Amino acid sequence: MDFKLTDDQVLLRSSARRLMTVEWAAAELRAMLDPPQAASATTAIWSKMVSLGWAALLVDEEHEGLGMGMFDLAVLMEETGQALIPGTLHSSAVLATGALQALGTPAARERHLPEMAEGGLRATVGIYEPDSGWSPMRLSVGSDSRVVKRLVPDAAAAGLVLVVNRISGNRVQLARARGATVTDLQSMDVTRPLYQVTCDRALLEPIGEGTVGDLQAVIDRATIALAAEMVGGASRVLDMTVEYAKQRKQFGRAIGTFQAVQHKAADMLIGIEKARTAVYYAAATADEEPERLAEAASVAKAASNDAFVAAAQGAIQLHGGLGFTWEQDLHLYLKRAKACEYTYGDTNWHLDRIAHRLGLS
Amino acid sequence: MQRLTDSAEEAAFRERLRSWLADNTPTIDRHDPKELAAWQRTLYEAGWLGLTWPAEYGGQGLGFREQAIYNEEAARAKVPPSVNNIGLMIAGPALVAVGSDEQKQRYLRKILTAEEIWCQGFSEPNAGSDLAGLQTRAVSDGGDYVVTGQKIWTSNSLIADFIWLLVRTDPDAPRHKGITALIVDMRSPGVTVKPLRQLTGENEFGEVFFDEVRVPKANRVGEENDGWIVGMKTFTRERANISISLSVRLQQQFDRLLEAVRERDIPLDTQQAREVARAYADSQCLTMTCERLDERLFGFESSVVKVAWAEMNQRLQEIGLSTLGADAPLLPGRGYDLGRSGPATWATEGASGKEPPFEKSWQFGYLRSRANSIEGGTSEILRTVIAERVLGLPRK
Repeated sequence: MDFKLTDDQVLLRSSARRLMTVEWAAAELRAMLDPPQAASATTAIWSKMVSLGWAALLVDEEHEGLGMGMFDLAVLMEETGQALIPGTLHSSAVLATGALQALGTPAARERHLPEMAEGGLRATVGIYEPDSGWSPMRLSVGSDSRVVKRLVPDAAAAGLVLVVNRISGNRVQLARARGATVTDLQSMDVTRPLYQVTCDRALLEPIGEGTVGDLQAVIDRATIALAAEMVGGASRVLDMTVEYAKQRKQFGRAIGTFQAVQHKAADMLIGIEKARTAVYYAAATADEEPERLAEAASVAKAASNDAFVAAAQGAIQLHGGLGFTWEQDLHLYLKRAKACEYTYGDTNWHLDRIAHRLGLS
Repeated sequence: MQRLTDSAEEAAFRERLRSWLADNTPTIDRHDPKELAAWQRTLYEAGWLGLTWPAEYGGQGLGFREQAIYNEEAARAKVPPSVNNIGLMIAGPALVAVGSDEQKQRYLRKILTAEEIWCQGFSEPNAGSDLAGLQTRAVSDGGDYVVTGQKIWTSNSLIADFIWLLVRTDPDAPRHKGITALIVDMRSPGVTVKPLRQLTGENEFGEVFFDEVRVPKANRVGEENDGWIVGMKTFTRERANISISLSVRLQQQFDRLLEAVRERDIPLDTQQAREVARAYADSQCLTMTCERLDERLFGFESSVVKVAWAEMNQRLQEIGLSTLGADAPLLPGRGYDLGRSGPATWATEGASGKEPPFEKSWQFGYLRSRANSIEGGTSEILRTVIAERVLGLPRK
């Protein structure tokens, strides 16, 4: 096994780091707390990301994309996760791109992917239904006149809103939801707004089909990308905590010299290192051994859930009262951590899937 | 470039090793040092030991990857434990790093052949985590040092020929500055070894007493009063090597746990199944973290893996024990002599005996695992190392 980054990946990482430092500093992040500013900040950073080719990263070359792999994406998403970049990169360039590639008809891919790759079109996908959880097999085979999808990321800003419905047994259908009503669900994580999408079934425009397994693979790949962002976010709060613990003095010395503080920080690092490994492994698996994707994605998500939530909570604890304030950015990371934790399956969902694969249930 | 599989050269090496192990792994008494030494010699002669050591001293001059592959395959083939693990994993690599040419010529090959068994004398009754407080004295006397003091928790001391020893040569210098590393012949007059029975009932460790033991100055490793650096180099190698081989063994332990779970009549409830799944996920993460950190494991990052491994193995053993239900406290293996002495094995050996002996049981595994967070650096000390050396938090 070899997880060394290629020269291109090192380059991708440093250009991501540069963009984050210059274009998505504290002021831009704080803008997300104010709804009118949030929309324009999201659009502004999106166009910067587009100019670096990130919207095209996963799109195949046939559709004017870069045809890069999940490992490349993971390297990038670790950086964007550090900075809490708003979710458009995830919802359009990862989730919607993945759904179109796996389920879309040739005509649909031809029509949408090039436009998504060059960034002119932002897309999103609704999958989750209240009764299905994140298990595609439990999506309803509905005949209601209305289709209701919840937890749809970035739907208000999307020019293309897609939904995936189960149409029978093992079959799912990808459809364009024209004339959908989009309602903000008010997620605590303002950097990744979530919506309810409601539309008339009669108005759905089918643009592709596949199996439940195909859909699960789309979700698994998005899960790995999300987990990479989570590892990035966890690393950032640990860095912030280390810096703070070096500066902050109590009892006449830096609090970072106290063992209770040191050991908590050490545990944060242990969790992050394990999660980072799991994410890299899962990303390499998606590229090289798709038959192991499900298990690797679950291991990565469970580890990232643990690492990010523990790091965000630990960071607030070690910052003391300051960590609990609105002015300090840590709460944004905590809210991102909790929102991510429940996206694409919480820890128990993934442990249950692993247990099932091990033949334990 | 990311690879989930071996490179062509690595694959060829693995294949050659795997087929050799399939043909040559013996069924022997894992408690007989003579049989174990003979097995080690066979391994050496076939070219599977000292993989990363220089060829001129009996090694193979290969890289870290080959060593990792060896650890994986040896664990998979359930080879008998290494009788000279302190020599192979700690003293030998440290000698390669800091020994003189004469010392390398004299000792390294015989470590590999198991003609000479080694132990390590660092800890003392009053110097455990605070190793720099060690008090065993070495006084210069002509061409010799005269050594007096006591070491404790010394694995393999009952069968060892040499001890890799840290002593105080300058009692007036600051604590870290007055320490020297020596190689001491365990048969020197004045050396006494007492078995130290541990809570499993075994005598894996011993206490070693030095009463005016004369040690030739040629046996000093590095400069006088430079022993702290030598000791630190020993430690990083110890933790890196132990991390790799133990993370592989963790996978085996997990397979054993799965077997135990499947053999049970009562299916696991959801919560128990999740615990096992979590253990699986964690052990995967840990094993692959060793691969990802690769040569960084020879730095302070090894502490990250060591702490995680200790907790992981402890949890795994607890889950394993819990699969036995209310029978968990009952010791298996009728007629087993708890007081038996001899070199210990990690609680990971595959089935080869007729009746599962104590040290293959979950009870033993659980009890033995309590040492994991103490041996080779307590988890408390290692967390401090992580905080100060990896994260860069200030020292007091």
